Amino acid sequence: MTARDFNERDIHLALDGELPDEERTAFETWLKANPEMKARSSRFRTDREALRLALASALEEPVPVRFMRLVAGDAGARSSQRSRWWQGAAAAVLLATGGVGGYLLGTRGIGIEDGAADRFAEEAIAAYVVYAAEKRHAVEVPASDEEHMRSWLSARIGLRLVTPDLTTEGFQLVGGRLLPAGAGKAAMLLYEDTEGNRISLFVTSESGSYAKGTYAENNRPTAVYWLDKGYGCAIVGALPQERLAAVARNAYRQLIEGAEKRV
Amino acid sequence: MDDRKAAILGEIPRLRRYARALLRDRDAADDLVQDCLERALARLDNWQTGESPRKWLFTIMHHLFIDQMRKAGRRGEVAMLSLDGDEALAVPVQVESIASREILDALQAITPDRRAALVTVAIEGFSYAEAAGILGIPAGTLMSRISRGRDELRALLDDRARRRSLKVVER
Repeated sequence: MTARDFNERDIHLALDGELPDEERTAFETWLKANPEMKARSSRFRTDREALRLALASALEEPVPVRFMRLVAGDAGARSSQRSRWWQGAAAAVLLATGGVGGYLLGTRGIGIEDGAADRFAEEAIAAYVVYAAEKRHAVEVPASDEEHMRSWLSARIGLRLVTPDLTTEGFQLVGGRLLPAGAGKAAMLLYEDTEGNRISLFVTSESGSYAKGTYAENNRPTAVYWLDKGYGCAIVGALPQERLAAVARNAYRQLIEGAEKRV
Repeated sequence: MDDRKAAILGEIPRLRRYARALLRDRDAADDLVQDCLERALARLDNWQTGESPRKWLFTIMHHLFIDQMRKAGRRGEVAMLSLDGDEALAVPVQVESIASREILDALQAITPDRRAALVTVAIEGFSYAEAAGILGIPAGTLMSRISRGRDELRALLDDRARRRSLKVVER
């Protein structure tokens, strides 16, 4: 038999099925004689099994209809806008690093030229996804302390913040919190209706552009936003489009009226 | 539907798995799949007869993935995730076991080049030669990415386990 020397490289070759058959027996013998290498090999194998298991569900899920239509040549299935998976990835990075309390990377400059509005909407949605799902820790300051919250958040974000009254839309204030947004800060106000649906108002004074619009992606909450120089506001929720639009208009009107009042 | 389209359709589950391994977030992964399908359909003529549809589609998807990673990287936004952030890392809609979540988070934290190399071979089961073709790199580079990727992944998981045991001691 060839007595070639094996090394760590061969662990990977063996694991990936790249070791020639005639070398396998000698390799196994070598592995047995090297407990450290054997341990490495079995750790890598365990990791691979764990990864396969974690990703296995993707193969069992039915193919989404939109993909079937797309391949079948149904023009309606094509994305009407550029898809935004990389911005989503960036938002995920923002979330992950934001929580570490260290460095905040921001999503500035990713993707397309007119990305400021998208980024703002993404941030508002990201905040909603994280906090609206929290039952007990959704807000830093509860609605019972509304006046304090208003003055605190106003001071932090640098504009006069009101807490819109959305009872006509069926929503009550839950409370609010302070968040990072881009290079600055944002206030998030959270509301809830009697069925437990939540919406958030995401307000910042950092905006440097003008835009308004609705940012919707499949299976994610929708953001209705307005950007004005020095003012940005997004209303985020997973409500039916028309209801969200109505709540958003109402909230926006009150926010603007509040912000324009000089004290 | 012609044969080629039927073949593409048959590869979608695998493309989705590869995209999820690359990107973690399911919606983002499906958007990548969609981009890949659109590009493939627009370039059906480039598909050489005899070439495996799987290899062809994976090559397209890999290019899309790497292009965007490079663009983000050039702007100084390369993602270096810390596993400390697990409480903040929002994976709200998907049900995952803790073990699955840990290893997928760790996979997401290794460099994109190594992640792609490792997943192509260890999860998708391509040979080194096929994987090197898909990723457009020499076989030697592929091997070094795979071994470094495995080391990096393992180090992250060890680190995580160590911190967890520290937390228990501190309590």
